[in-house]
Amino acid sequence: MLTYIGRRILQMIPVFIGVTILLFILRAPGVLPGDPIKLITGERAISPALYNQIVKENALDKPLWYQYGRWMDHLFHGDLGESYQLKRPVADILIEKFPNTLKLALVAILIECFMGMAAGILSAVKRYSFWDVLVTLSTSILVSLPVFWLGMILQVIFGIKFKEWGLPYLPISGMTSADFPGWVHYVLPAVTLASISTAYAARITRSQLLEVMGQDYMRTASAKGLTGGQVIWRHGLKNALIPVVTYLGLDLGAMVGGTILTETVFNWPGIGFQIYRAILSRDWPIVLGAVVIIVILVMIINLLVDISYAFLDPRIRYGRVAK
Amino acid sequence: MPPLLEVDDLHMHFFTRDGIVKAVDGVSFSLEPRETLGVVGESGSGKSVTALSIMRLIPEPPGKVVKGDIRFRGDSILAMGEKEQRKLRGNRIAMIFQDPMTSLNPVYRIGKQIAEPLRIHKNMSRKDSWDAAVELLKQVGIPQAADRARSYPHEFSGGMRQRAMIAIALACGPDVLIADEPTTALDVTIQAQILELIQEIQARTESAIIMITHDLGVVADVADHVLVMYAGRAVEFGTADDVFYRPLHPYTWGLLESLPRHDVDEKGQLCPIKGQPPSLINLPQGCAFRPRCAYSQGVCTMERSGLVEITPGHFSACQFSGDSGFVEKACGFLSRER
Amino acid sequence: MAPDFFEDPRRRDIGQAAEEQTFGGSEALAETVVAGRGRTLRTDAWRRLRKNRLALAGLVWICFMIILAASADLWVPHFFGAPTAIDTSKVAQQSLLSPSADHPFGTDKLGRDILSRTIYGARVSLIVGVVAVAIMVVIGLILGAVAAYYGGWWDSIVMRTADVFFAFPYILFSIVLIALLGFGLQTVFIAIGVIGWPSIARVFRSSILSVKNNEYVDAARAMGASTPRILFRHIMPNAVAPIIVYGTMSIGGAILTEAALSFLGVGVQPPAPTWGNMLSEARSSLFTAPWLMLYPGLAILTTVLAFVLLGDGLRDALDVKLKE
Repeated sequence: MLTYIGRRILQMIPVFIGVTILLFILRAPGVLPGDPIKLITGERAISPALYNQIVKENALDKPLWYQYGRWMDHLFHGDLGESYQLKRPVADILIEKFPNTLKLALVAILIECFMGMAAGILSAVKRYSFWDVLVTLSTSILVSLPVFWLGMILQVIFGIKFKEWGLPYLPISGMTSADFPGWVHYVLPAVTLASISTAYAARITRSQLLEVMGQDYMRTASAKGLTGGQVIWRHGLKNALIPVVTYLGLDLGAMVGGTILTETVFNWPGIGFQIYRAILSRDWPIVLGAVVIIVILVMIINLLVDISYAFLDPRIRYGRVAK
Repeated sequence: MPPLLEVDDLHMHFFTRDGIVKAVDGVSFSLEPRETLGVVGESGSGKSVTALSIMRLIPEPPGKVVKGDIRFRGDSILAMGEKEQRKLRGNRIAMIFQDPMTSLNPVYRIGKQIAEPLRIHKNMSRKDSWDAAVELLKQVGIPQAADRARSYPHEFSGGMRQRAMIAIALACGPDVLIADEPTTALDVTIQAQILELIQEIQARTESAIIMITHDLGVVADVADHVLVMYAGRAVEFGTADDVFYRPLHPYTWGLLESLPRHDVDEKGQLCPIKGQPPSLINLPQGCAFRPRCAYSQGVCTMERSGLVEITPGHFSACQFSGDSGFVEKACGFLSRER
Repeated sequence: MAPDFFEDPRRRDIGQAAEEQTFGGSEALAETVVAGRGRTLRTDAWRRLRKNRLALAGLVWICFMIILAASADLWVPHFFGAPTAIDTSKVAQQSLLSPSADHPFGTDKLGRDILSRTIYGARVSLIVGVVAVAIMVVIGLILGAVAAYYGGWWDSIVMRTADVFFAFPYILFSIVLIALLGFGLQTVFIAIGVIGWPSIARVFRSSILSVKNNEYVDAARAMGASTPRILFRHIMPNAVAPIIVYGTMSIGGAILTEAALSFLGVGVQPPAPTWGNMLSEARSSLFTAPWLMLYPGLAILTTVLAFVLLGDGLRDALDVKLKE
C-alpha cells in the first residue's frame, strides 16, 4: 500500500517537472513567435526604455535555465506575477476566486454521481430495453452538446421564459442576488457543468456493469441463491463502481479546469470567469497564473484519486497487482 | 419414493439470431442420495448446459426448456416459482464451477463469500456465519482457516480458491453437489487433491454428486454411473464398470481410445476422434455422430436411435449396440487390453 | 453467464482453427473469420456499418453539411444575403428580425441573415475539424509509432510527454497557446492539433504493441521482411481501425473546441461567421431575441452528434475497443 502510494508520487514528479518546463517554455522569449513582453504588459504600446526595464526586471536577458529556476522559485513562493490591469498579485486574485469554482464543481460532481450512476445502472440492468436506448441516445446527445449553448438554453427556458409565463423561475447570473436564497443560484450552472460528465459517467457505469455481469463470480452469486437484485447490488456494483468512482475523482480535476465556459455563461465569480475576463482585457499574467495553479491542482487531485483507488480495490491495497 | 433428482427428457434450446441451438436435446437420468454420476463429453456436448439448467442459471431468453422436466424429490423445479427455486439453489443443490480464478468475487473476503449462502438460507447472524465459514475452510483443508478467511481471493492459489469454492458449495449441506469440470483449470498435482477432497466429502455427507468432465479418467475413479453425452444427447448410460469395460457406443470407444493410459505401454498411440463436433443448429440427419464414426453404415444417415437398454441398466444410442457380434468385433481390443 | 458458444455459433464452424492460431486480438480473429468467408475486412465493416441506422444518419448529415458549406458561395448570398455584409443605412430596420420568409432564421443585431451566417459557419467548423484532426493524427501516428516500435527510451520520452499534455485542461491549454501565437484560424488548427496528439499516439502505440508481438509478425520477421515492410504490411492494417474510429470522434471534439474558443473570443475573430462567435454575439440579445442562439447551437449539436454517431458505428463495425 505504502509502496504503491510512494510509487505514484514518484511517477508524478517527472510529469510535474515536464508540466512546469512546458509552461515555462511557452512563455519564454524566442521559443514561440510571439513577444513574451506582451504577456507581462498586455497589448499596450510601451516605450523602449520601459521595455528594457521590463526585460531587466524579469531577467529576460538571462539564459533560459536561469529564467526557469527563477520562475520555479517564484512559483514555490506563491508569486505568479501581477495583473497588469488590476494591479494586484495574480495569486491573491486566484485565491479569492478559487473557492467559488470549487463549490460549483463539487455540486456538479454530486449531480453527476447520482444521475450518471443511476442512468448507467438502469441501462445496464435493462439492457436493450427502451430505457437503455433512451440513456444511450441521450448520452450521445449530451457529449455532442456545446456546454455554453446548453447553459444559454437553460437560461432562456428556466430564467427568462418561466418568468414571462409566471412560473417559478431560476436565477441565471452570479452567485448571489436579492431575489433568491444563495443555493438556488447553483442549480443551473451546476447542471450545465455536470452535463457532459454525467453522460460519460453513465456510459462508464453501463459498460463496467455490463462487463461485470458477464463475470463468473456473478454466476457463483446466483448459484448461492441470491435474487437477481441482490446479485447486482451486492456483487456487481462494488466491482463495477470502483472505476466509476475513479473517473468521478479525475473528473473533479477536469471540471475545475473546464469551468471557464459555464462560469462565463452564468457570470459565476470563479476562476474560469476570471480567466475569461482576463482574456478579454488581454491580461495574460492572470491567464497563465490560473493555468499553472489549475494544472498543479489537477495533478494533486489525480494523485489523491489514485490513492483512494488503492483503498477501494483490495487487489491494489495489498500490493500484489501493479497497474 | 421419488428419486432425489430426476432429469426427464430435458430439451434446453437457445433461440439466437442465427437459429435454434439445441444445446440439450433429450437427456434423462436420475440420481439417488450418495450416488455419484459422471457426465462425460466434449466441450459443446451439452453437459454444462444440463448442469446450469438444473440450477436454473440459464438466462431465458435466449434459453428455453422446450420439453422435459427436472424434478427434485418429485417436485418439478421448472414449475416452481422463482422464490422456491432460490430456496433450492445454493441450499439443497449447489454447484462448483470450472474456473476458480474468476468464480470468486475479487472485492470480498473469502470468509464473507463462504458465509453468504448461510446468511441467505439459514438466516445466520454475521458472527455465526463467519465462524461457520472458518469451520468450512478447515473442512476443505485450508490451514490457519481463521486467518485465511480474512484473505481476498487474489491472495489464494488456484487450488486454494477451488477449495474455497467447494466450501461455498458445501456451506448449507446440499443434497446434490454439481461439480462442473472442477479440476480442468488446475495443475495436475492439484487436480488429484481436489478430487480426493470431493470424494472425502461425499463419504462424510449424504450428498449425491454430478461430476461433469471431459476427462474419462476422472470419472473412472469416482463415479457410480456414467452418462456419455454427444451433441446435446445422451449416447450411452450405465454403471461405471459397464461403460469402461463393456462400452457399447462408438463415441465412447473413441473417448476411451483418446485417453492417455499409463497402465499399458507408454508408447501406445493416442487416437483422437477425428473431426469436429457438429453445429448444434444444423445437426446432421440421422445419428449425430455418424460423420465422425468409423463404423457408420447407410442406415445411420436415415434414422437416429434413442437410448436402448442393451443389457440390464446399460443403455446405448447406437443402431448396432444390440448386435453383440458388432460390438465384440469393433471394440474387442479395448476389453482385451483392460 | 451461460456458456459462450451460443453467442455466435458460426465461430464453431469457422473460428475454431483461427482461435488457436491468433492470440487475444479480436480484430485478428475477426479478420481470419472474415477471410474464411471470402470477404475482406473492409467490405465486411461496410456491411455492418450499413446496418447501423444511427451511424448512417450521421454520415448522411455530414455529407449534407459538406455540400451545404462547399456550395454556399453559389446560392446563399443570392437568397439570404452575404454573411458579413452590413447595410449601414438599414441596420435599424434589419436588426434582430424574427424568422420570416426573407430571413428564415431571422437576423442578428447588425441585420445580418442568421441562416446565411450559419451555413458559412459550417465552413469554418468543418475545416477546423478536419485540419486540426489531420495535424493531430499525423503527430500522433509518428510519435506513437516511434514509441511502440523503438521502445525503451523513446517510449518513455514520448509517453511521459503525453502524460504532461494530459495534465493540462484541454481548453485552458489551447487558450494559452493561442494567447502566445496570436489569434486566427491557423492558430486554432495548431492549438487543437498540437494538444490532441497524445490520445492518438496512445491508441496507436497500444495497437501496435498488441500486434507487434503476435506470431505472424514474428513469422514475417523471421522470413526477412524489412522494418518498414513489417510496419506497413503487417502492423498498419491492424492498427488503422482504432485510428479511424478515434479520428472520426475527434473531428466532433475539434468542432466543439473551436466553437468554445470562438465563444470565448480567442478563436476565429469576427466578423467572420463561426457558430461559436455567433453564440457569443447571441448572448447579448438573450432577452430580446432568444432565437439567435437556437440555430448555431443546433448546427454544432447536430454536426458533432453526427461525427459521434458515425464514430460509434465505425467502432462497432471495425470491432475496435476504446477506453471511454
